[in-house]
Amino acid sequence: MPVSKVLTRGIGQVDLRDLKVYRRRGGYRQWKRVITELQPAEVVDLVSKSNLRGRGGAGFPTGRKWGFLPNNGRPRYMVCNSDEAEPGTFKDRMLIEETPHQVIEGMLIGAYAIGAKQAFIYIRGEFKRGYEVFTKALADARDAGLIGEQLFGTEHGVEITIHRGAGAYICGEETALLNSLEGKRGEPRLKPPFPAIKGLYDEPTVVNNVETLAFLPYILKNGPEWFAQIGPPKSPGLKVVSVSGHVKKPGNFEVALGTTLRKLLALAGGPRDGRKIIAVQPGGGSSACLFEEHLDLSYDFDTMAANGTMLGSGAVVFFDDTTDFVKAAHALVRFFAHESCGQCTPCREGGHWLEVTLERILHGGGLDSDIDMLVAVARQLTGINLCPLGDSIEPFLASVVKRFESQFRGYVRKRAIAV
Amino acid sequence: MTASRGFAETLAKVKPEAEKLMAQYPQKRSALLSILHAFQNAEGWVSPEALAAAAEMLELPVSVVESTASFYTLFFRRPVGQYVLQVCRNLSCQLNGAEEIMAYCREKLNVRHFETTYDGLFSYEEVECLAACDRAPCMQVNLEFVYDLTREKIDEILRAMSAGNFEVAPLPQTAKPDVTWFVAHEGEKKSPGAQGVSSPNDPGGIGDPSGRQMVERIVRDPRLVEARPTAERLVRDGAARLEAGAEH
Amino acid sequence: MNGAPKEVTLTIDGTQLTVPEGTLLVEAAKRIKTDIPVYCYHPKLGPAGLCRICLVDVEKTPKLQIACNTTVGEGMVVHTYGPKVEDGRRAVLEFLLLNHPLDCPICDKGGECDLQDYSIAYGQGASRLADPKEIKPKAIDLGPTIVLDDERCIVCQRCTRFDEIITLEQSLVVKDRGQRDVIATATGTPYVSMFSGNVTELCPVGALTSKTYRFKSRPWDLNRSLTTCVQCSAGCAINVDERHGEVLRTMSVPGDDAVSEGWLCDRGRYNVGFYSDPRRLTSPLLRRDGEWVQLGWEDAIDLWARTLHEAVDSAGPKSLAALGGGRLTNEEAYLIGHVFRALGCENIDWRTGRQRQASPGPRGGTYADVESAQAIVLVGVPPAQTTPIMSLRIRKAVSQRGARMILVGDYALPIRVAHERVARPRDLASLDLDRYERIAFFWDGIDPRVGSELNEFAEGLAEGRKIFTYVTGETPNARGAEGMGLVPRSGGRDSVGMLAAARDGNLRSLAIFAANPVLHMPGGADSVRGAIENVPFVVTTELFMTPTAERSTLVLPARGPFEKSGHTFDVTGAVRVLRPGVAAPTGTLSDLEILIALASALGVDVPGPAALHRQAALHAPWVARGFGDPALFAEGELKAPRAGAKATGLRLVIAADLFSGGGTVYHDDRLGELRPLATAALSEHTAAVAEVHDGYLVDIVAAEGTLRGLVVRVAPNHVDGTVTILEGLPDAPASAFEGGQTVALANVRAARVPVGVA
Repeated sequence: MPVSKVLTRGIGQVDLRDLKVYRRRGGYRQWKRVITELQPAEVVDLVSKSNLRGRGGAGFPTGRKWGFLPNNGRPRYMVCNSDEAEPGTFKDRMLIEETPHQVIEGMLIGAYAIGAKQAFIYIRGEFKRGYEVFTKALADARDAGLIGEQLFGTEHGVEITIHRGAGAYICGEETALLNSLEGKRGEPRLKPPFPAIKGLYDEPTVVNNVETLAFLPYILKNGPEWFAQIGPPKSPGLKVVSVSGHVKKPGNFEVALGTTLRKLLALAGGPRDGRKIIAVQPGGGSSACLFEEHLDLSYDFDTMAANGTMLGSGAVVFFDDTTDFVKAAHALVRFFAHESCGQCTPCREGGHWLEVTLERILHGGGLDSDIDMLVAVARQLTGINLCPLGDSIEPFLASVVKRFESQFRGYVRKRAIAV
Repeated sequence: MTASRGFAETLAKVKPEAEKLMAQYPQKRSALLSILHAFQNAEGWVSPEALAAAAEMLELPVSVVESTASFYTLFFRRPVGQYVLQVCRNLSCQLNGAEEIMAYCREKLNVRHFETTYDGLFSYEEVECLAACDRAPCMQVNLEFVYDLTREKIDEILRAMSAGNFEVAPLPQTAKPDVTWFVAHEGEKKSPGAQGVSSPNDPGGIGDPSGRQMVERIVRDPRLVEARPTAERLVRDGAARLEAGAEH
Repeated sequence: MNGAPKEVTLTIDGTQLTVPEGTLLVEAAKRIKTDIPVYCYHPKLGPAGLCRICLVDVEKTPKLQIACNTTVGEGMVVHTYGPKVEDGRRAVLEFLLLNHPLDCPICDKGGECDLQDYSIAYGQGASRLADPKEIKPKAIDLGPTIVLDDERCIVCQRCTRFDEIITLEQSLVVKDRGQRDVIATATGTPYVSMFSGNVTELCPVGALTSKTYRFKSRPWDLNRSLTTCVQCSAGCAINVDERHGEVLRTMSVPGDDAVSEGWLCDRGRYNVGFYSDPRRLTSPLLRRDGEWVQLGWEDAIDLWARTLHEAVDSAGPKSLAALGGGRLTNEEAYLIGHVFRALGCENIDWRTGRQRQASPGPRGGTYADVESAQAIVLVGVPPAQTTPIMSLRIRKAVSQRGARMILVGDYALPIRVAHERVARPRDLASLDLDRYERIAFFWDGIDPRVGSELNEFAEGLAEGRKIFTYVTGETPNARGAEGMGLVPRSGGRDSVGMLAAARDGNLRSLAIFAANPVLHMPGGADSVRGAIENVPFVVTTELFMTPTAERSTLVLPARGPFEKSGHTFDVTGAVRVLRPGVAAPTGTLSDLEILIALASALGVDVPGPAALHRQAALHAPWVARGFGDPALFAEGELKAPRAGAKATGLRLVIAADLFSGGGTVYHDDRLGELRPLATAALSEHTAAVAEVHDGYLVDIVAAEGTLRGLVVRVAPNHVDGTVTILEGLPDAPASAFEGGQTVALANVRAARVPVGVA
């Protein structure tokens, strides 16, 4: 069965920011159906059956995540994570800027499913345009009686509050996001307790990615079976993949999970003329590199994990044979060091150390021992941090040092000659 | 609290907005970031008065508000230029020539990472991934995207800005001509691509074994000394080292 | 939750142990004497999970876990050492030391530094860092007491969490992020707190140091002794670190959970410089024809005994009087009564300041009771300025248990905490306090009318409830003095009565032990001075030539609290022990020794140490009948506000400050900026109405006199329509005024130089 795209459909052809256009295409019908016909538990059940896995990075089954909320009669919150800042990822920005109503509908359905009366969307501070578009969309939907109290003649309702970040990658981590949403420093919280138990304002909270929530109306419309049968059974469904790097036509591509990396490369116009792709980072800055021999791998959560990397947020960066991997490694290490919140020791100190070492290598001050040290230090700062940011430094660095060690040695040798 | 008259006007403008923002949340502290955004929109930066005013509205100590503001890179805690140019330095842009673009910007503007031009028109910063990798290399000007950067495009933008007909709505001008401002949230540090030395904090070490470059640089450009509280020590240590070197 | 907490059995390093459910691994390990290294974790601050040094290996979990945030589980098997654990710790230590300067030889923490200790235990010896270390500011002046060395800071955030969780002040915060993060205060605001010194103890490295101790000593050169701080009535255990006869620093006592919980206030911590102040009196001094002449101890005591006998012989025992202050131990207080009563004198009193009552009646509570209270009622001078450690318990009850805070009267709270305020105790009736089961009442012990009104209210609530009462007054061992019988009995005069008798020429001899009534007694310094000068023979035991000593006939050089042994009562009535921690200057004697010498010269039998203790124990159970006990206020009732003040004036609030006083504080050069300025504090509204601004100078005018040159301080936490001045400042004594009277501001002028930043 041919798979047709849903989230990105119509983008660039019609103005989906317009509520009328969105509704004409079937928008908010699922929201109405959910609130008037379905019990929250039924929605959870449908989503569980679809086997939808989180599109933000961790790939955790959404239905199961919702199921962790305790039944304690406390207020609950739904938070939509749009702090998209993983290097190479630009899908959420597109969804927010181009089809905000789809995201709103997903948030409403998600909030209803977990029994939340208030939902928040945390929009990255840099997305000024996205914030403006979304603010207007929210106002339109509110005016149309789609958001608020006692909707469609029922006693149910959901309020949506838009919250703007202010420049911190770490706020993509869900507990850091919650702190930031509470008006605090965006530092990840110590876990346990997890947000499902003690989240926003210490109440049970679910944090879902923009894309995850945007799929909800379609899963409800087409049924969970439709979604579950797309792609590999354990990692099913569609995925918006951001492809960039050394390709002719970078962009967002909505594909079925299980598509090969080579297909993604082709969708993005293939390598630049006369160049050959020698490496690919399949899941954002935190993922380890794969190489030319991996291009025929199926692009899904489990296959990527089995090959020592991850699907992450679905950001695929292709590298051709002109790439300076020392510079690439430096750019990513510098990024993580820059974005470290500084709370815990290994990430704060180790990231900075790697950054200065790479800097020195790039500027001709490298030592032969530096190369092994880079790998060793990256290794020893992994697995002992408070949040996943620290653990994100090693995969790319280690994989490219291993594969392209000669490039790193080359920098060191250059220095030896210069001296 | 005695606020300047200019700020009283800002406050009058921001306060009703802030009240609305605070009412949106179950706990009003949640509105802190939004209130600081509102002040920055009004003033171009987050001034000490703005921090104090936000603290008062939210019934928080100023220290807490300041600590929170300092965590986020988008809050400027010193005045910035009319146009804040934030060029992406992350992976996808780097693969597509960001380094060249950054070097060109620095050359054209004659500023480094985190600096503002003497005419108060431009602030320049190199930032992390802006989520526009499909249009790399990219930058934001006052948080509006400019895509597919080339030397020519930079020329064109800068020309338009200088002439005052750049189409992105500018932030209000806050930096005065002939004054160099540093965007305060990150101090003056590192980013070798931006500064051309291994590390401004480097008092010696492998890249600069004598420390000579460092001291010379500080002597040449005393602005650095003002920017960093440790500079005095650098000068002292470095001078001692130079003297010792001269004897040999 | 009901019943006993469930127990969990686990194995740590092969040892099986059973602990309550929910125990953290780091605490469980302590039970089998296994120390897990920690930096950011602190038992009083809870887990933070920042430093990552406490890594342990928990079987069946793939990654190393942090012991500070892992709770015990049934059947859990934990290894606190082994190659995997040591690898993790080694890694964390390498990171911590990466940019940490190796200036240990000049670091004040050297020798008691956790970073040094753990580096030896778990570190790898050498760093692989090939680049220069980051250079950061070395001596950041955070405020009057604390200096930050940013290079040494490992960002464990114990200090900022202390300031957030324990003091609720939040003036210390982390600024910036990542590798650039730094401990700081709001820009332009110094770190001023009553509890600032604690951060130097919490700091596991040498990043935060006390100005008074910087570069003073190495810890292994110090002699430590454990005693009790008697700067106020809180009764905190305190470690005195001495070298060559000088108290170099004081440290809190971690196990002191009954009282201080391991914290100290800055007065207790820093006001120790007076012990070695060159102005200490070291020889008895006799005023002869307006000149001070030195006297031997024997001559001085003989002279005193002789005049006492002569006075009794010529004018009867009613012409004698004895006053004793709060520096006295229980034994000394008891002996004063014993010796003077032996002469037939009943004019005996401890009340040499505003405080008139010390024991709270039969409903007194412990420190732990404060924490359990659901409502807390503060009447009069708040405990923050008089018994700071008690105020930490109150803050804990409010912040962690959600206790409701109610203020009675006009006093300002030093921190921003949600509270309600009523004008008088009887107004409490409008607050539905009867819905609480446990209520704590705090009273300053000053005004009997307020006290008895409060007592009446509390009594009315007592049925079926737990009521805890505390008198957190200004006098340190007032409870001991009151309990030991330093109060007039069978027709004796109290302190106010004594001064009246003195004015009338009816006193022949007055003995003042460790007190400074000229500065603190209500009625005004001139009036007290005049009364004292009207007594033919006045003996004062003092450390310094105070305003009271100056007016005496004979001044005897006494010893300070760290220089003697004995017992005191804390504010809850518990016995605390004093032990000498530093050698007293030659030529001084403790009040106990002075009293024994006097007794022997008078021919009065003195009980031996054992008997003294027995006597003291016998007297200990003495308590007042309640707040405002009429027996304690028989004489010298405080007068109602006098007429004549301007009707348009402001209500006067006389507040205490932790660092006001004329004796030990005044004679301590280490305190520097901590001593308060003479201020007139107003709310923003009041200041606007009165048309004064922060930093202006004003005079306060009332019928009783004028206080000149007070610095205006505008602060949001003051009650509108009041002006708050400080008690006990030698250069601006407030004792002539009464709280609640109306006063006017006069002679408003802008100060030439802007005053202070605090």
